[in-house]
Amino acid sequence: MNTSSNGYVICFAVGVCVAASAALALCASLLAPIQDAAAEFDRQKNVMIAAGLMKQGDLRPRAELEKLYRDRVKEVVVDTETGAVAEGKTPADVAAMKNPADKERYRVGALSLTAEGKTDSIILPVSGKGLWSTLYGYLALEGDANTVRGITFYKHGETPGLGGECENPEWTAKWVGKTILDEKGALASIKVKKGVVDPAIPNEKAHMVDGLSGSTITSNGITNFVKADLTAFSGYLGNLRSKPQ
Amino acid sequence: MTDTVSPPVAQSAPLFGKDEKKAILDPMWDNNPIAFQVLGICSALAVTTRLDKALVMGAGVMLVTAIANFLISCMRSAIPSKIRIVVQLVVVSSVVIVFDQFLKAFMFDLSKQLSVFVGLIITNCIVMGRLEAYAMSNPPWRSFLDGIGNGLGYAWILAVVGAVREILGSGKLLGHQVIPQGLYEAGYVNNGLMVLAPGAFILLGCIVWVQRAISGYEEK
Repeated sequence: MNTSSNGYVICFAVGVCVAASAALALCASLLAPIQDAAAEFDRQKNVMIAAGLMKQGDLRPRAELEKLYRDRVKEVVVDTETGAVAEGKTPADVAAMKNPADKERYRVGALSLTAEGKTDSIILPVSGKGLWSTLYGYLALEGDANTVRGITFYKHGETPGLGGECENPEWTAKWVGKTILDEKGALASIKVKKGVVDPAIPNEKAHMVDGLSGSTITSNGITNFVKADLTAFSGYLGNLRSKPQ
Repeated sequence: MTDTVSPPVAQSAPLFGKDEKKAILDPMWDNNPIAFQVLGICSALAVTTRLDKALVMGAGVMLVTAIANFLISCMRSAIPSKIRIVVQLVVVSSVVIVFDQFLKAFMFDLSKQLSVFVGLIITNCIVMGRLEAYAMSNPPWRSFLDGIGNGLGYAWILAVVGAVREILGSGKLLGHQVIPQGLYEAGYVNNGLMVLAPGAFILLGCIVWVQRAISGYEEK
């Protein structure tokens, strides 16, 4: 067989492509369930980091952290139209919903519990468009449903070193202690400022965080979707404020 | 088999004869891919902020280079030379993607930290460089060893840079605090330059300098 004949070249090329595709497809389908479980565990860790139940880089074994999540985090399905907890719907039901209007309406939040089982903090999913991708994160509020306890971004495709710094614990730490309501009780949300926050200005000190260098669009995206998600959950948060747990 | 021209197979090569040892040991020092051949620098800067990232990346490049070398060497007489580079690329890409899938399944946190740099192993000059320079003209087992050797040569440099950057830049090694709290209270501060690319560049330069001074490199 002449290795430089056109027929051979084409057959060889096709053969290599088929072999590579088969190997990749096999590998991907075999590993998919393990990858999904790993991604779910990562999501659970981020809920717990936002709520302060663990820190980034916690060295406890996976089984222990998974148990911590089961014991101390309670997932709730919220009907954002009424602000009430949607009894009878589980997070799995919400994940299976196909209608975009339903997915807007029913959202899965979580409450972190103290060791005695009382509500400690409220964890809300926040997500929206950055520059290159959709960012997914969790914003945790103290029991007063006003003060920020923490925020994490666990999934995004922003530029590493620029928008990707939204994951940096040194930046997310700046969110701690900010409040989402202004003095009149209306939703002020948290804004990412273009520049450094001036603590002398009360509005900035309470409701703004320092910007991310070189990531204006990501930062604006974060400002916008945090506000949108807090607005969606405002009914639910209002209910929690009026009947303290 | 077809009557293709196959490379002359002499007596079967020993498992770890002189050539085999040379294939592994040369790239660890004398012919080190980073210090001597100056290949694969950009990922050496980006993934060495912590030792665990550096080790996983080093292991990744080693596995990819070794397996790709082996596969290409097995096929070397059958690959039409017109599409040689493309075939090498397909093989390397597939191996890298498989590695990435394993990382996402078993080391999810590290795979998030390494993000795009795992995929960029495909573009790492060391891999393609060795395929062209060695695997296309050497038998499979020796090519495999050459891949391991180059990977190890790359990995130890990454490990050294990673360890120094992690200790000086964040006071930890593999996540465990090594700089005692007492030093921080006495006024010691983590070196921010070590966490950024320029710090890695400077360290890399020092390593190349030391390696060439010891091995007596002469600019031709």
